Amino acid sequence: MITRLIKIVPLLLLCMGSIGMAKSLKVGLASGVSTMDPHAFDETATNSILSNIFDPLVRFDANITIHPDLATSWSNPHPKVWILKLRKGVVFHNGSAFTADDVVYSFQRIKNWEKSGFKARVAMIESVQKVDDYTVKFITKKPFPTFLRKLTFVNILDKETTSSKSDAWIGLHPIGTGAYKFVFWRKGNLIRLKANPNYHLGKTFFDSVIFRVLSNNATRTAAILSGEVDLINRVSVVDVKRIQKNPQLHTFVKDGLRLIYLQMDQFRKTSPFLDVRVRKALYYGIDEDAIVKYIMKGFATPASEFHPSVVVGYDASIKRVSYDPKKAKQLLAEAGYPHGFSITLDAPNNRYINDAQIAQAIASSLAKIGISVHVNTMPKASFFPKTARQETSFFLIGWESSDGDGSSMLDSVIHSKDDKRGYGRYNNGKYANAEVDKLIEASDANMNPEKRLKEMQKAQYIALVQDQNIIPLHFQVDIYACSKKIHFTPRADGRIWVYDIK
Amino acid sequence: MFVSSFIVFFIMFKAGDPVELLLPPDATQQEVQAMRHSLGLDQSLLKQYEAFIEHALQGDFGTSFVYGEPALDVVLERFPATLELASLAMAFSLIFGVFLGVVVSIKPTSWYSKAIMLFSLGGISIPVFLTGMLLVFLFSVTLGWLPSSGRGEVYLFTSAFTLDGIKHLIMPVLTLAFFELALIIRLSRSSMREVMMQDYIKLAFAKGLPKRVIIYKHALKNTLIPLITVVGIEFGQLVAFTIVTETIFAWPGTGKLIIDSIQNLDRPIVVAYLLVVSCMFVVINFIVDLLYTFVDPRVRV
Repeated sequence: MITRLIKIVPLLLLCMGSIGMAKSLKVGLASGVSTMDPHAFDETATNSILSNIFDPLVRFDANITIHPDLATSWSNPHPKVWILKLRKGVVFHNGSAFTADDVVYSFQRIKNWEKSGFKARVAMIESVQKVDDYTVKFITKKPFPTFLRKLTFVNILDKETTSSKSDAWIGLHPIGTGAYKFVFWRKGNLIRLKANPNYHLGKTFFDSVIFRVLSNNATRTAAILSGEVDLINRVSVVDVKRIQKNPQLHTFVKDGLRLIYLQMDQFRKTSPFLDVRVRKALYYGIDEDAIVKYIMKGFATPASEFHPSVVVGYDASIKRVSYDPKKAKQLLAEAGYPHGFSITLDAPNNRYINDAQIAQAIASSLAKIGISVHVNTMPKASFFPKTARQETSFFLIGWESSDGDGSSMLDSVIHSKDDKRGYGRYNNGKYANAEVDKLIEASDANMNPEKRLKEMQKAQYIALVQDQNIIPLHFQVDIYACSKKIHFTPRADGRIWVYDIK
Repeated sequence: MFVSSFIVFFIMFKAGDPVELLLPPDATQQEVQAMRHSLGLDQSLLKQYEAFIEHALQGDFGTSFVYGEPALDVVLERFPATLELASLAMAFSLIFGVFLGVVVSIKPTSWYSKAIMLFSLGGISIPVFLTGMLLVFLFSVTLGWLPSSGRGEVYLFTSAFTLDGIKHLIMPVLTLAFFELALIIRLSRSSMREVMMQDYIKLAFAKGLPKRVIIYKHALKNTLIPLITVVGIEFGQLVAFTIVTETIFAWPGTGKLIIDSIQNLDRPIVVAYLLVVSCMFVVINFIVDLLYTFVDPRVRV
């Protein structure tokens, strides 16, 4: 064995040396993937890594606008019909050709595989048909204005290779058409990719990429400070100053798509939040600026509405009310609570940035207007089922408009609860307003972008400004640090798409 | 093992619903139901446990909810990394711990003995997290000698045979060994002192045997007995303690896996981990018993 060892050590060193010569990018990530199956988990960290190996039909740029990818052009001849022209000459990493069959197969796999997390993205698609090798036709159940946005989440798998394989095999052998080919995965540690010489958008800048999973914040910071990685995501807010002091490093702050908000019980007879004046009093009585300044260290944007400005549905005319404890007290008195009341605020403690501390700050803020808040924090695994069972009257939660369109939040959080029709799954305060429901449903099927935006904005105006159905707190921001040797532009969707890094 | 598997089952059942964490927030209620059904979570706790036992007796511990692979495979795949870390840390602390403990017990009043004891006090009281971060700050960020995290090149299940692997191993092993080293120093010192008071040692001195022979041949052998017992228990502890070390150094072992799996309520992984660790304890106890017979001839009778 020793002789084998002696042979292998120089070989290994040689390998490491040759990788060092070529252009290589090392990325430190806050979380990795649990499977390489592009149809299994719909969450940012997985989508981010796999976006380098797989391609969707259309792709978001850094500011979540749609660009061609595997589909080069599209048309919408009828409100429910979409015809997409596919790119010719594209090959998968194993050499098989990309055709309409792969597209049909991928969409059907998501629909039929019970463990796919992407079902919601394709739920409105009635059927996918192959017209010819390079044309596919989609028929949606209703006119579906966000169709292209949903397509950006559906990665295309090779039918020839994978249709005869098990799901476990697909989870370990990612074969896509993307800019990088899969080389090696040591679970929980690193993923190694190498450039795809046949990439259809053009030559890649880096010859190889290493994604390292560094889930501990301090570890990630140490890795970028010591120069072991070129780029890290989700820099901890307490480490930003240290990184900025290093002359070889850049930090980037990019507004994210996730709103942190408070949800209030509006259905139990005993709930103080039945009265809109109480809900408004809370909005006035929470010192969000202090939360952003002291807890988020400035790395969050106070929210004035449901959506950040890059998301469709944003309304520039809505402004956040300024912190006004006097007004809050007055509203409480008018509502019949001159001495306030007591309430429990439930919050997760491992889901959002500083979630538990935010809940504490809200409690101390509300104490000043006479509301005594008992903060109850718990792990996300207990928190989400608890809210789903509606066993809480007041809770802190977040929503990410991952497809850049406000409809997901309007449908799931704002629309009244209607499990049968798939609305309001996260409306666990059970706010209900028929007019808002009507506007949301109309906007969901309106193919005219201007009119649709008006409907979405009006729904938001009634729900938020008039009814104060939730209390927006802030939008999370994504913080990155990278070496000055590379050119990196942070993306609104939080993904790290190496092809764009130079 | 039956009892512990049921307790884990029950706690995970009570803790929450993994499906809520597996699906994206805009999934519909029907999708949630379908997923729950496909994972068998729509059945009663007893039914689920029954199914688990039935499969487990055939060697199948279920498929991980998160990884989509057999749970036992996921755990076993990562176990070598943790075992490597724990064994090296144990070996390191044993070799240096016993040596330093003996040194201290022979000349308790010398300046170096006092220094060693001070160091061991620090080792027992400084939290692992701090030790790890201090090492990273010193050797990676400031000096740039060692990689701050991760596991190096692996050859034959371990990274201890490659240069890159060894570089990655140094800091996590030291961090993990720090507490253990301190403990073993104190332990071997006190048992050494006890042994040195025994009549047969006095006899050996009276016979005029050289001091070195007395200490390393006669005395040390007898200090090993309590040490072996403790080391056996401590090794299990070490494997459990790797959770913190693995987090700091992004080490791809089972400690990190188990924390993630508990957070994601990935029950098959947690149960499989428990089983592997229980088996490991059985093996350790067996080895400890064997070692007794080597060191202490009285046991053989």
